[in-house]
Amino acid sequence: MTTRKLTGLLFASPWIVSFLVFWLFPLLYSLVLGFTDYRLMSSSYHWVGFDNFIALFSDATFMSSLVHTFVFVLGTIPVTTVVALALALLVERQFPGRTLFRSGFFMPSITSMIVIALVFTNLYSRGGYIYLLAEMLGISPPENGFLLSNSTALLSIMAMDIWMSVGYYMLLFLAGLKSIPKELYEAAEVAGAGSWRKFRSITLPLLKPVALFILVINTIKSFQVFVEIFVMTKGKYGTSTAVFFIYETGLNKFEFGYASAAAYVLFLIIAIFSLAQFRLFRQRSIW
Amino acid sequence: MKHILFLSIIALALLLSCSGGEQTVNGKATLEMWQFWTDPAIRPTIEQMVADFESQNPDIKVNLTDLTWANGHEKIVMAFSSNTAPDIVELGSDWVPEFSTAGKLADITADVLPDTAQFYGWTPGIHDNTIYAMPWILGTRVLYVNKTLMKRAGYEDNFVPLNWPQLKEMCYKIDSLGKDIYGFGSNAAEKHRLYKKFLPFFWANRARIMSRDRSFSTIASDRGYAALLYYKDLCDSTGMVDTQRRLEDAFLDGKIGAVISGDWLLKRIHNEQIEIDLATSLIPGPQYPGPSFVGGEYLAISEQCQHKAAALKFVRFITNTENQLRFCRANFSANPSSKTAADDSFFVETPHFQTFVKQLGLSRMPVIDEHWVYVEDIIETALEKALYQGAPPAQSLYEAKLEIEKLYKE
Amino acid sequence: MVRAVKYVVLIAILAIMVFPLAWMFRVSLIPPSGGLAIGDFFSPVFTLAIYTDIFTSGNMLKYFINSVIVGVIVTGGNILFCFMVGYALSRYRFVGRSFWFYSIIFVLMIPAHIIIIPLYLLVYHLGLYDTYGALILPFLVNPIGVFLVKQYIDSLPTAVEEAARIDGAGELRILFRIVMPLCRPALAVLAIQVFLTNWNSFLFPFILTSSEAVRTLPVGLALYQGHQAIDWPHLMAGSSLAVIPVLVLFLFFQRHIISGITSGAIKQ
Repeated sequence: MTTRKLTGLLFASPWIVSFLVFWLFPLLYSLVLGFTDYRLMSSSYHWVGFDNFIALFSDATFMSSLVHTFVFVLGTIPVTTVVALALALLVERQFPGRTLFRSGFFMPSITSMIVIALVFTNLYSRGGYIYLLAEMLGISPPENGFLLSNSTALLSIMAMDIWMSVGYYMLLFLAGLKSIPKELYEAAEVAGAGSWRKFRSITLPLLKPVALFILVINTIKSFQVFVEIFVMTKGKYGTSTAVFFIYETGLNKFEFGYASAAAYVLFLIIAIFSLAQFRLFRQRSIW
Repeated sequence: MKHILFLSIIALALLLSCSGGEQTVNGKATLEMWQFWTDPAIRPTIEQMVADFESQNPDIKVNLTDLTWANGHEKIVMAFSSNTAPDIVELGSDWVPEFSTAGKLADITADVLPDTAQFYGWTPGIHDNTIYAMPWILGTRVLYVNKTLMKRAGYEDNFVPLNWPQLKEMCYKIDSLGKDIYGFGSNAAEKHRLYKKFLPFFWANRARIMSRDRSFSTIASDRGYAALLYYKDLCDSTGMVDTQRRLEDAFLDGKIGAVISGDWLLKRIHNEQIEIDLATSLIPGPQYPGPSFVGGEYLAISEQCQHKAAALKFVRFITNTENQLRFCRANFSANPSSKTAADDSFFVETPHFQTFVKQLGLSRMPVIDEHWVYVEDIIETALEKALYQGAPPAQSLYEAKLEIEKLYKE
Repeated sequence: MVRAVKYVVLIAILAIMVFPLAWMFRVSLIPPSGGLAIGDFFSPVFTLAIYTDIFTSGNMLKYFINSVIVGVIVTGGNILFCFMVGYALSRYRFVGRSFWFYSIIFVLMIPAHIIIIPLYLLVYHLGLYDTYGALILPFLVNPIGVFLVKQYIDSLPTAVEEAARIDGAGELRILFRIVMPLCRPALAVLAIQVFLTNWNSFLFPFILTSSEAVRTLPVGLALYQGHQAIDWPHLMAGSSLAVIPVLVLFLFFQRHIISGITSGAIKQ
């Protein structure tokens, strides 16, 4: 048995080494800083215990950034997941042009987030194509463009995020769908099950592992949304998110201890959500 | 087979980890400089200046590193806070105190003191009566007017709005020319931009953000309030609200009558050969033209630099008259920090540059010290609340005043 | 009839997905000196001048090559390492197994801007600053990749491995000859995921390198965002070109996802 344990350790060593060399120090460093009043550029700092954490909860800016983050997460994840699944189902079976559609749907995921954000900044602005489309459809957009209005700025960024992510998650769902043995569907057909029944009783349950993987990864990423905000609105018009707050506080205002504390608060929130997702799906294996 | 392939990839990776951009010194002093001028139109000029310097100083080598405007600040901050900063760094005017007050910059007073009278814009580089940064290229803001719209509104060809009533009247008249035509370009809540458009009006009314001894804030004074009311009215009744860039697009497209902008707009008109009947003027004050906002690029030397004398030599070289002129010609900049450079005929011959030169003489900078990052935030919030969130202007200013005072009491 | 509807829906969705990218490409066809509103998609004026310009002036080609080198090495390394680690976490019991599994997920949950400063310090003091090493070594084992592989292997029955073990096959042989082929779909997704993340990665390369010699494509493209104006034609052209390698990779690897699990995998 010991040789097995040793082999296991050996196989796991790439991550162990990588973690110990590159990631352990940054994680501990920022955790410790969260308990200090460290400012960038300063040479001295003091231990302040939980003061940062307590201050965060009465910090209106941080709290509102958390609210915006929750809106973002809760607004995008269900939609992204459902749409990604729908797209995967649409392009699952063979039909003429399938590869074209698959590639086309995947393309938004390929481009750099920064460039996409710049493109959409233009499309959302006064006279931009999304603006014009909205006018054509009778939805009167805010006069100054979607991103310069408190009521639509965050929603617009969310819509863009959904647009960008569905292709990638569609890919994961496709892989998951492919892993369901055809025999199960054949057996169900023989037993007289219709399409919906097959979907509900075979497809959905067997997709749970992939779905859970997608949810966990998407949650972790979405809670940390930053680049879009930074490029498109710099946190104005009600779009400041948690990581944007951390960025501004830590790197602009130099309150790095405080920002680290905020980062770990966010970390806890993400961890709780992820664990909840694991429990909810009650899955030990994914895939 | 496969594992051999993978193992060789890893070996290659480790091998490559030894290559990259390092510089060895063979008897030369090597200086690292981080700068932001990466545009293909201007970078060759910087490189040429470096080459000239190196040929005049064979024992010094200068390596340039490009920073992006969007994220360069973070990189500089990380480098300085971990004491791994480059020898010479280009800093924006509002960043200098972040580093000078923390003791990260080298004291260059002794070297530059005799020549201070020949340059504009020293203030941000000064902390505690010591000079830490050299002003390089400045930039002020002036009023741009679309003469076609102005004439359509009934004005004479050589009309220029000189004071607040005239500006408002002109903007009203232009605004009523059509549904798609606006009188004034009003900045949306855009970080680092909005307050720069409001402050000229604020200062022109002789209002100030802080009292002289910085013990209390005068932002909510009657004069400040009057300025905000004027600006708000101008924006509400004749303003197209958008980001700076799109305001400029609309202005060049003949949709806006007047907009406040910097010399980059002239550069754009020149480079893209845009046809526009343009007038530029000093920013109007209550009764006559007044101060404007000025910012700029500064050069600083790290306190950790091993070759301070060489670095200083390079900084003085880049900021001398000849090189500043070279830069301004290549980059279409209207406000060099060197007064002798600004005397050159280039700034008279190039249309509209004289407006910038004259405006610079009247312009101000806000109080830029280590609190500036917070003060800027406070002012921006106050403006956003008053202009776009329907808060009473008096209240927004008063709240700002309290916040600023709280800041300075700590 | 249903087929026609399906195609209409598909085309509508494709249009939504592709239009912003088509716009991006359209902007790259503007004459480099500007003079044309970038927003005007339907203007008949277009030129490929920018593409020749991008390769002749400046260092875009070098940045492109750097990104390819780094991308290939990081992806190759990840395929190997994530597979090994995922397998270990799934099949073996060893000291600290739970800890290592959670460490993987936790690393993902800290915002990059907080981690980057200590990581920068670490990289600097290890002498890796401004080298390919800084772009490659910290990223050779992607947490998402490990997670993905681990969960995938969890669902594979152990029967085949056990049989091979009884037959006397060594662990390495089992790992590479037996399990790896079974993991092809997961590894294909992994390859796409890792390459894509690395290809578009901006913050870490920007902070951990300075010189042009090791600059990657996203950092090079960011230089087109000027002080007061964005150089739209160049930036969009560069971004359009940047899409090509990933697209190629996607087309290549998606076969493996399509072909699905080999006939050996059974789900009860």
